[in-house]
Amino acid sequence: MPNAILDPTGSVKSKAATAAAPRARRPASLNGARVGLLINTKQNARPFLEEVGRLLTEKYDVTLTERTKVNFAVPEPDEVIKELVADNDVVITGVGDCGSCSAAAAADGVVLEAAGVPVAAIITESFIPTADAMAALRGAPGYPYATTAHPVAVLTEDKVKERAAQVIDDVVALLTDSSGKND
Amino acid sequence: MTDEAPEGSGALGAPEAPDPDEAQRAIEYCYDQGWSDGLPLVPVSKPLLDRFLATTDKEPDEIIGSLEQVGRDVDVRTAAINAAMAGCKPEYFPVVLAAFDALMRERAARGGGFQSTSGPAPLIVVNGPIRQELGFNTAGGAFGPGFRPNMTIPRAIGLIVRNAFGIHPHVLEQATQGVPGRWSICVAENEEESPWEPFAENGGAGGGVSAVSATLTRTMEFVDNRHTPNHEDVLRDFQDTISRIGSQIFPLSSVALVLCPEHAQMFAAAGLSKADVQNWLIERSGRTGAELTSMGKAEVNRKGFRGEYEGDDTFHRFLAGPTSIPVIVAGAKNAAISMVVRIFGEWSGTAVPVVEKK
Repeated sequence: MPNAILDPTGSVKSKAATAAAPRARRPASLNGARVGLLINTKQNARPFLEEVGRLLTEKYDVTLTERTKVNFAVPEPDEVIKELVADNDVVITGVGDCGSCSAAAAADGVVLEAAGVPVAAIITESFIPTADAMAALRGAPGYPYATTAHPVAVLTEDKVKERAAQVIDDVVALLTDSSGKND
Repeated sequence: MTDEAPEGSGALGAPEAPDPDEAQRAIEYCYDQGWSDGLPLVPVSKPLLDRFLATTDKEPDEIIGSLEQVGRDVDVRTAAINAAMAGCKPEYFPVVLAAFDALMRERAARGGGFQSTSGPAPLIVVNGPIRQELGFNTAGGAFGPGFRPNMTIPRAIGLIVRNAFGIHPHVLEQATQGVPGRWSICVAENEEESPWEPFAENGGAGGGVSAVSATLTRTMEFVDNRHTPNHEDVLRDFQDTISRIGSQIFPLSSVALVLCPEHAQMFAAAGLSKADVQNWLIERSGRTGAELTSMGKAEVNRKGFRGEYEGDDTFHRFLAGPTSIPVIVAGAKNAAISMVVRIFGEWSGTAVPVVEKK
């Protein structure tokens, strides 16, 4: 009987995975909702999310709070997640336009959803594979998020606003559950 | 019957010769599992693993590194399998453990380094008598290839990141172009021809102790200056390379100066210590606001100054202090060619002692 070839991947699987991480319950609409903007500090992330917030305020009279990610490359620490859950009805995060920050945006989304807060993560199209991989690793394969074309960092102020306007319907759809409606 | 073997076939037919067909099947099996970095792997069996584990006092189950964002841990056993796959000899394993420890102490590696679009490579620096004991290259061709410990130890780190952390290219690893030589950069300092203290002593190791330091690098650029007897001219040449704007993505950056023995000895002969070289370059490496702005880096310029642009004439230093420009001596004393190594993020420079089994 020859020796087996040993597996180098380790027997320890990801501790970050919660078995089938649950998706938060959605409100029927964003009317009067408390919306948290979790800004990841990447260039143009702030004006992008602020414009999304402005459009939501105009349309749904939402209340905005802003917060900057502690470290764009990794998921937020537990205490920040707790505060985000306490302070907001829904959270919008982004813009994922790098390797680690796109994965981190997906991870933050999965964690917040499991804690009961609907999230719309915004990620540039170049980073779909890494966001999907991180969501799957965290126990939420197929986790939905909004995408915008790459790049975002080099856009002018006007173009950033255009992009925000383009993504707003997807953000609203991600954050609400309109299935009870007939129209 | 050796006289039946065709001429020039060497050991063919000798009783000890391994079966190449079986070896090839084992190598292909490893490829099929998705374990390889693209090059052939050494298939690892339990007896080989045991020889690696016998080189350390650590328990096979001991966790030696974690990557929080992916929720994966690495234990000694898994690290040993990857080191063996990389082509390390069992006796290299304590150096692999020290290198991995040193790298994972760095915030840049624990953060998004392995996932980054910049695709940085570990830079591993080895000091002390272990260099001779294991046959590291300490002389010409310091950045490789050609020497088994220098090549296989960084490859072991790469395989640990791939297999134990699960960070694969195009998925959780998002390098835009990456760095040539990623997972193959391990420099054994040329202490014998360095005029200064070993690098590990700067990082807290005692004199004569074998120790490993590690960071991530985005690239390296040579400074070939064998044209002048004036050491200040040479320093200005380094200043010019360090002050390149393309590598500047934040207001401050870090470089490692990997000096060839000739440059190091020239500076020492002029009475300069490592600190003198560092301070000379810290004061002068940088650009004006106008230069940064003209190359589209006004945003980089603003970030460090609380959102305010300080004006075109302001000179912005790129290096914060001595830890932003560690100095290492490596290579042959045969030409005045040194390297400016671009550090990904910051490097604490911490030296981790190599601990062999008692």
